[in-house]
Amino acid sequence: MTAIDYTQEIPVVEGRPTASQIEEIVSIPMDTRPGKIWKILITITSLMLLAGTVALGYTFYYGIGMWGNNNPVGWGFDIVNFVFWVGIGHAGTLISAILFLLRQRWRTGIARFAEAMTIFAVMCAGLFPALHTGRFWLDGYLFPYPNQNHLWVNFTSPLLWDVFAVSTYFTVSLIFWYVGLIPDLASLRDRTANKLKKSLYSIFSLGWRHSTRHWQHYEKVYVILAGFATPLVLSVHTIVSFDFAVSVIPGWHTTIFPPYFVAGAVFSGFAMVQNVLIFVRQAFNLKHIITLNHLEKMNQVMIVVGMIVGYAYAMEFFTAWYSGNDFEMFTFINRALGPYAWAYWIMISCNVLSPQFFWFKKLRRSIVFMFIIGVFVNIGMWFERFVIIVTSLSRDFLPSSWGMYTPTIYDFGVLIFSFGLFFTLILLFVKTLPVVSIAEVKASIPGAQPSHKGGH
Amino acid sequence: MEEKKIFSVAALFDTADEITRAAKETTAAGYTKYDVNTPYPVHGMEKAMNLKPSLLGIIAFVIGIGGVTFAVLFMSWASIIDYPLVIGGKPFFSWPAFVPVAFEVTVLSASVGTVVAMIALFFKFPHNSHALHETNYMKKVSADKFGINISVIDPLFDETKIKEFFAKLGGKDIETIYEEPFPKDIKMFDKRFIGVLVVTALVTSGATYLTLNKLLYMQPFSWMSEQNKGLPQSKSEVFPDGFTMRPPVEGTVARGFIPYEYKGMKDSAVINLSNPLPYSKEIIAVGKTRFDTYCSPCHGYFGKGDSRLHDQFPKPPTLHSDKVRNWVDGNIYHVITNGQNIMPSYEKQISRDDRWAIVHYIRVLQRSQNAKDSDFENSK
Amino acid sequence: MDYQKKELPKKFSMTGWALVASGIVIVVVSYLVNPMRASFNNVIALMFMTGISVGALVLVALEHLSGAVWSTPMRRVSEFLAASIPFVAVLAIPLLFNLQGLFQWTHLDVVKSDVNLQGKTPYLNTGFFIIRYVVFFAVLFLFYLIFTRNSYKQDDTKDQSYTSRNVKFSAGFMPVVAIVLSFLAIDWMMSLSPHWYSTIFGIYYITATLLAGLAATTFAAVSLSEKGYLHSSIGPDHYYSFGALLFGMTNFWAYIAFSQFMLIWYANIPEETTWFIMRWTGGWKYVSIAMIVIRFAIPYFGLLTARAKTDPKRLKIVSIIILAAHLFDMYWLVMPTYSDTALFSFFEIGFPVLITGILIVVFSFQAKKHNLIPIGDPKLQRGLDFHL
Repeated sequence: MTAIDYTQEIPVVEGRPTASQIEEIVSIPMDTRPGKIWKILITITSLMLLAGTVALGYTFYYGIGMWGNNNPVGWGFDIVNFVFWVGIGHAGTLISAILFLLRQRWRTGIARFAEAMTIFAVMCAGLFPALHTGRFWLDGYLFPYPNQNHLWVNFTSPLLWDVFAVSTYFTVSLIFWYVGLIPDLASLRDRTANKLKKSLYSIFSLGWRHSTRHWQHYEKVYVILAGFATPLVLSVHTIVSFDFAVSVIPGWHTTIFPPYFVAGAVFSGFAMVQNVLIFVRQAFNLKHIITLNHLEKMNQVMIVVGMIVGYAYAMEFFTAWYSGNDFEMFTFINRALGPYAWAYWIMISCNVLSPQFFWFKKLRRSIVFMFIIGVFVNIGMWFERFVIIVTSLSRDFLPSSWGMYTPTIYDFGVLIFSFGLFFTLILLFVKTLPVVSIAEVKASIPGAQPSHKGGH
Repeated sequence: MEEKKIFSVAALFDTADEITRAAKETTAAGYTKYDVNTPYPVHGMEKAMNLKPSLLGIIAFVIGIGGVTFAVLFMSWASIIDYPLVIGGKPFFSWPAFVPVAFEVTVLSASVGTVVAMIALFFKFPHNSHALHETNYMKKVSADKFGINISVIDPLFDETKIKEFFAKLGGKDIETIYEEPFPKDIKMFDKRFIGVLVVTALVTSGATYLTLNKLLYMQPFSWMSEQNKGLPQSKSEVFPDGFTMRPPVEGTVARGFIPYEYKGMKDSAVINLSNPLPYSKEIIAVGKTRFDTYCSPCHGYFGKGDSRLHDQFPKPPTLHSDKVRNWVDGNIYHVITNGQNIMPSYEKQISRDDRWAIVHYIRVLQRSQNAKDSDFENSK
Repeated sequence: MDYQKKELPKKFSMTGWALVASGIVIVVVSYLVNPMRASFNNVIALMFMTGISVGALVLVALEHLSGAVWSTPMRRVSEFLAASIPFVAVLAIPLLFNLQGLFQWTHLDVVKSDVNLQGKTPYLNTGFFIIRYVVFFAVLFLFYLIFTRNSYKQDDTKDQSYTSRNVKFSAGFMPVVAIVLSFLAIDWMMSLSPHWYSTIFGIYYITATLLAGLAATTFAAVSLSEKGYLHSSIGPDHYYSFGALLFGMTNFWAYIAFSQFMLIWYANIPEETTWFIMRWTGGWKYVSIAMIVIRFAIPYFGLLTARAKTDPKRLKIVSIIILAAHLFDMYWLVMPTYSDTALFSFFEIGFPVLITGILIVVFSFQAKKHNLIPIGDPKLQRGLDFHL
């Protein structure tokens, strides 16, 4: 193990590439025909989409009675998946906005990709509540518009807050992503020879000229958007947690939920970004732009948020005991020892125990190992939502109204659909748009900025 | 061939340090209408170019304040004034519950508004016909060079002087950039243009028609609204009388309802019935509204028998006759409940308490029409 | 590195001693006049000062852990503030003799007739309470010693291994301090209303702690830097970082406080709402509203613009307001248990005066012994060159 030299900043980009080399490397996937691996992968994801479509078709035609949701457990896979996907989305905004505001320069190489993931994940997430309404073609009523019934939506309902939060989050993430893309699209426009591509890039780059008079406003807007996106990302998962916490169901009504959900969201999001980035940097030869140092930083963030999640688990347990409330106490004992104990212990071992391996530098920097841990964390976080939703609903106050939850094949089908959608969109994204922010990486290579000699 | 219009004179530099120096020198030389094009934002360039700080922060703040104000006012209006509903026992103005939506609306409006303001107002985008596009200069600054170009509208503009100035600064690829000549032969009725117009019109109107008339009324499946069950007022296949709605069993009595024991009997039988309601202002006010609704069309607002029905229905006698005035309360109640002569029973329309209230009101009317002097004294 | 150590003026430490003396007088008088009320104020003081000193120590650890460089030139300020940790522990000693006056759960007769409190006795009992208190402060002091020893030694040796050692200890420190602060808050403040519980309470106090440590560091660092006691390279970009962090933490505090209130308000369960009802009746309503204003609204609008975040004068004013708000927050958390009506008199003044005095004395003592900037730190030059 070599000692770190603290007097030097860890370079954002390794191997000292020039600006034009960066542009070259990043645009390779867009300029070349898709390779074999890409074709195989998109076949798999399309098949997942197709299989999922069958499940979706059954759900549309026969209604959500096809799912495993039942009377005590009215929320099942649908809401588990919703929270899971919204959570995945959070890493993107965290990387692009919060780390931007904290001047963490290692975000440069991974921000664009994480933002795209946010958008796709929120799309997957939005699918589930939309379906859960039962008659999804009437979902327009979720928005407060002056409709023929002269009714307004219920502004005090957390489910309505979700509508606002998720749609705002989607819109703002999309804008953030697009604003970041404009200069890159302009660069692509000026280097491509293909006529069709050129006109598309021209349309979407809006005529960007890299003018300093524009950069000045552009940078200001980027800070403003980051400033808005930071509380937004907190608010979204907070509002998702309100769905549960404003109720009086034991195990749901607990005040730690907002920060706990946000930490969990960041946790799973980082795991997903890390997993997918490992593939991307390998496949597109981006190893010196998305460096091992970046992945290590991500793993460090994962231990931190993993510990926060662990703190929340422990605090919930302690307070359930401390409260002296029979129902609270029972709920938590039931989680750990009841019929769904297996889910609880999967959650604990994946979320709390598995990231502990990242204390070791060697494991933190091993691609294979970190990939495995990332997968574990994703599984664990999915089960966390399952534990919260299903155990609390299946056994609440009255033993006479307890019941078990068993998902059906259609539940799994819709879950597969969402994964298919997510990965298909990612595969399309990596072949059509720059996966790394060209302008930002150019700006962070050594010598890119004027030296500050002579003071300021 | 006519002369092309000059747009600007441009030069390229290799490093960020060079371009920063060049910008400083250009500002120092007194040029104002010039621009620096760099592949990424170069730190300190706004200072070197002496630009004013961006106003977008203020715009974002103003839109944000507007968004939060609108959201709070709108939610308050919808849940206090327009359609008040008690939800979860909370007050109509439940401000903590408004916070999430107000916050989201603020963020949404401010971020969308700021970006739109930047693109449309500050950049005047989309703008793909700018003179710099498709020049060698643009291609270079898009990749890795740093360019500066002084526009023709600068008061100090002089092509040769600027070129010398740039050369002195060490600029490369110094060139003059010309405006793209505006095409002269633009026809109003170009075939392609008309074609696009027609297609757009057809597609838009067709889509609008389909959305408003078909799509909105489509029921992907209607199993919930069209169930195999008997609906009220529909014909029944099951029951021999053909009615879906079943009458209650003979002798059924509604909850809380005591049948009228003097039903169909003569007036004289009911003298023992006395008004259960107190003779109070509130009760009389109720009696007045009921009287005005149900009785006044025939009896008139003052019970004088001055019907508003213009002889389409026989006029009843006045209620101020000695006969009616001498009736006991029970007698008037009996008439309302049971009907008399041509007057039908009002048992179904007016509730029992309201009928007694009417009786009180009729007494008031009678008193008002036959007031004594002592009443006048008392009211002083 | 061109650093010439400048001694702090003698007047500074004299002011500190004067404040300590007058603080002690007021505190003693208040203990003699009304020991109950003085004890409650003592709890406020304990939690207030924990916020500043432990908060400063957390900032030190956070700098190591995140590899931040901008704060390195100002790290000594946080380290000096954290040096008051043992005095915080001392501050709690008078309370240990008066637990009966503070906590309902120490009364065995009350517990006997209360099923709910009986269930809590394994945690809420005097013996374990004191053990926890001792262990918590011992652990905090131990980490303080580790961090500062390494840092001071590095001044002479310039050995980078001290930094990497501190980074490792910081990683271990973070979970420990999270637990310590949460349970300190539960012990000293949440258990004042022993039936009430809230899972977020620990995080609420952690946030308040960080905010207090940050505000105290900001005030001290900006004042020292303005007067030239630190390095001349410390400029607007460093100030901006302080301002941005204060702004962000203020928002985060509002978020946590609102989340707690919102969930309890919405679910409306009697056993939880009592705590807020106590703070919404008998004059406490105005205290609660004032809390929102001085803890959130004023710092928010005070630091909203980029210019405000780089303005040293503004930063100093806002950080003093945030510290006052921190004190006010502790008052709001503790005092409603003592009194049904909001109250304020000389009782509430004694401890803050004493604490200010202690902080100044400890600071000047440390400043005399050590360099005001960590001259041996390998990140120092990068920190001085820091630009946004």
